[in-house]
Amino acid sequence: MMKEAVTVSNVTKHFQRKTAVNNISFSIEKGEIAAILGPNGAGKTTVVSMILGLLKPSEGEIKLFNRVPDDQQVREKIGVMLQEVSVMPGLKVDEILELFRSYYPNPLSMKELVSLTALTKEDLKTRAEKLSGGQKRRLSFALALAGNPELLILDEPTVGMDTSSRHRFWQTIHGLSDQGKTIIFSTHYLQEADDAAQRILFFTEGQLVADGSPMQIRSRIQKQSVSFTLHSSESLERLSCHPEVERVIHEHERTIIQTSNTDKVLALIFQENIHARDIRIEQATLDEAFRQLADGNREAM
Amino acid sequence: MNVLQKQSIAEMKRVLRNKYFVLWSLIMPIAFYYFFTNVVNTNVPDQRAWEAHYLMSMTVFSVMGSSIMTLGIRMVQERSQGWAAFIRLTPLPDHIYLSAQMIGQSVIHVLSITVIFLFGAIINDIALSPFEWMMSGLWILFGALPFLALGTLIGLMRKVETAAGISNVLYMLLALGGGMWMPFEVMPDMMQSIGQWLPSYHFGSGAWELVRGGSPTWKNILILIAYMMLFMLLSKYIRRKQEAV
Repeated sequence: MMKEAVTVSNVTKHFQRKTAVNNISFSIEKGEIAAILGPNGAGKTTVVSMILGLLKPSEGEIKLFNRVPDDQQVREKIGVMLQEVSVMPGLKVDEILELFRSYYPNPLSMKELVSLTALTKEDLKTRAEKLSGGQKRRLSFALALAGNPELLILDEPTVGMDTSSRHRFWQTIHGLSDQGKTIIFSTHYLQEADDAAQRILFFTEGQLVADGSPMQIRSRIQKQSVSFTLHSSESLERLSCHPEVERVIHEHERTIIQTSNTDKVLALIFQENIHARDIRIEQATLDEAFRQLADGNREAM
Repeated sequence: MNVLQKQSIAEMKRVLRNKYFVLWSLIMPIAFYYFFTNVVNTNVPDQRAWEAHYLMSMTVFSVMGSSIMTLGIRMVQERSQGWAAFIRLTPLPDHIYLSAQMIGQSVIHVLSITVIFLFGAIINDIALSPFEWMMSGLWILFGALPFLALGTLIGLMRKVETAAGISNVLYMLLALGGGMWMPFEVMPDMMQSIGQWLPSYHFGSGAWELVRGGSPTWKNILILIAYMMLFMLLSKYIRRKQEAV
């Protein structure tokens, strides 16, 4: 029995002269919840489109269940939510769902679809073109689930959802994951990836720059720092030669020392007898850390 | 019920629920027909022949409109709003999706033809032989093919607004130039000489001949086929250019 639901091998995508995705490789195992995370313009949608077979990679190869993405058997096993899809006008929600169920060999029952997506009786009798933003998202989610898919691929699924729908959405996703379904979603919110995923694939500028559990990613990108003011232009040379001190920054009269071990840096300050005042320990917020990682990658390139 | 059947029925529902379709393809032609055969005195020598002639004009006008506009604009909508890409991700095969659209569209045409014919038969008591009704109906159904091809050509445009604008203008020019609104014979010479080369004239002409007891000429048939080929080739060529990007 094969373990991988998705394998991406050495994939590059050029649009005219722009390289949107640059030589990425990864695989997603069955049963995983993986987040494709990155700032806007990082190539997330391009990666998702290639996994779905909507775009062809310029180089490299993508397989789903060991088949090409546009294989009929693959189509029967996947459920998809795309960004900004307007469902075909002229049909009521229940008519569209019935129609979609007929495309798949083992669809979910209408009852299950309704309970999973919290579509109301009124929603079901409303024509697609008259749905509100929130109702449209629920319908898109229901369409993704119609065929009882093994693999769910969701492109920025929570855009436009309010907090409570968002919360319910992720609860449902975890329920589906407990049933053994594989889930891949893209997002530009680090918090969301952190809360919902077991694994984060972090993209910037078309490159896969980090791949690991939220914990690993967090420790990698979330820098702590010790900051203080100094009496005079006291030298910090002795301090900066310790390996725990990763970087020294001067900003607004304050000295900021980036480190992953704030306790040790504090001890060092006293040990080296540095006349520091107003000492603070700070933790970069997730979003700052996220920006740092994205910026850091830009500098490195 | 199999998938093709379900899909075709869904397509028909969508067309019938579209207000513009009902307005342009059913209400307008019937209103025009009533107006020019019962309200306005057209001073035609043979009123009975005119009533049959104009019933064909209006049916052709209706079917031509839904072929160009309904199909074309919907194709643009489905592509620009992401629906076309989304449907490709389901197991529904492309050919079933396309066939269902064509079948749905044809059933709708049968319906339009039947409704407008019935209306003419009732309000003006038009008495054609069953064979004449049948043949003119079939002629209009199949004569619509070049216009469906034109619809798919319009369907390749990127914006709904452009597609709607251009198809409206084309539709009106074709209807006017082809003699759908006024008899071809009373139009100025220059318009007649242009009109003779329009597919709409030959579409109408076949039906006019049929209700006059004749039959469509080879020229009617050949010109319609030529236009169909031209539109199909053009849309194939444009589609290939678009995909290359």
